[in-house]
Amino acid sequence: MHHKQAVSATVTLASPLVWLACGWRDLRHAPLPGLLHGLIASLFGAFLFAVAGERFWLLAGAFSGFMLVAPVVATGLYGVSRGLEQGRQVGLREVLALWRSRDARLVGFGLLLGLAGTAWVLTSASLLVLLAPAPINGPADFLRLVVLADSPFLFELWMLIGGLLAAPVFASSVLTLPMLVDRDCSLGIAVRASWRAVADYPLVMAFWAILIVLLVTLGLLTWLIGLLVVVPLLGHASWHAYRALGPAAGSQGGL
Amino acid sequence: MEDTLFGLSEDQIANFGLTFGVTAFILFMLFIVFNLARESKAGKFGTFVLFVVLAFGMLGFIAKNVIQWFIHI
Repeated sequence: MHHKQAVSATVTLASPLVWLACGWRDLRHAPLPGLLHGLIASLFGAFLFAVAGERFWLLAGAFSGFMLVAPVVATGLYGVSRGLEQGRQVGLREVLALWRSRDARLVGFGLLLGLAGTAWVLTSASLLVLLAPAPINGPADFLRLVVLADSPFLFELWMLIGGLLAAPVFASSVLTLPMLVDRDCSLGIAVRASWRAVADYPLVMAFWAILIVLLVTLGLLTWLIGLLVVVPLLGHASWHAYRALGPAAGSQGGL
Repeated sequence: MEDTLFGLSEDQIANFGLTFGVTAFILFMLFIVFNLARESKAGKFGTFVLFVVLAFGMLGFIAKNVIQWFIHI
């Protein structure tokens, strides 16, 4: 069923779609852990809304910040995908064990991503506060003052700067967490493997980044319900991206 | 009283965020480029950043138009 994927040299622009298809297959084979992760993400999103709903400048950043930390949240799913690859079902108990291991590398990277997320929240909030013509207090204000502002390209600028800041974080994390789950390597080695994959396939990885953003946006636009499926789908797909782009099994993967 | 968070006003947070936030991210990007330069892949990383930034900007532009179209319909 779950064939071993040979580490292939043929990564093309269509590859991200293949990873998504593989992720979908994994989700259908082992729906429970995936949906549980999705549910937690949805509930966390609702919690953000409840806490920051009145401070929209904060909320807009908080959601994008959450996207940065999400790969850590999906850690259990990499274990599930790896299990399926080896032809066995991974139960919730094993996923929990992965969480409970409190792997110092995972915790460390999670903290780093949290730091980057916080920096982005502040930067995003700053942009909105300084550039918007009037205070933004809710989603309606954001629509009226930022998205619909006809004169300056405020919304586009916000997205451009968001892209500029997201690029290094994405490049540092796209393969890192699946690799840490898969191998007993240091955090530095995993991050550098991630950078190298991005430098090897800049166009493919940019497309993969955009796909992720689009899918998460879709999840958010459906009042967070879509996240139920989007989060596990992307988690499993990230595992397949790692399989396609990471260092070949058996190699050291170091510099 | 203005809206505050941890005793900081929005403007204070804004100034802090833009000064330190953007600087930190740019420095981080330079660090990656510097690291990859040894493998002469720095230029390719630049390509990636360029594509991501342009794509985000385009997404913003498209999203804005779609939203405007929806609201005025």
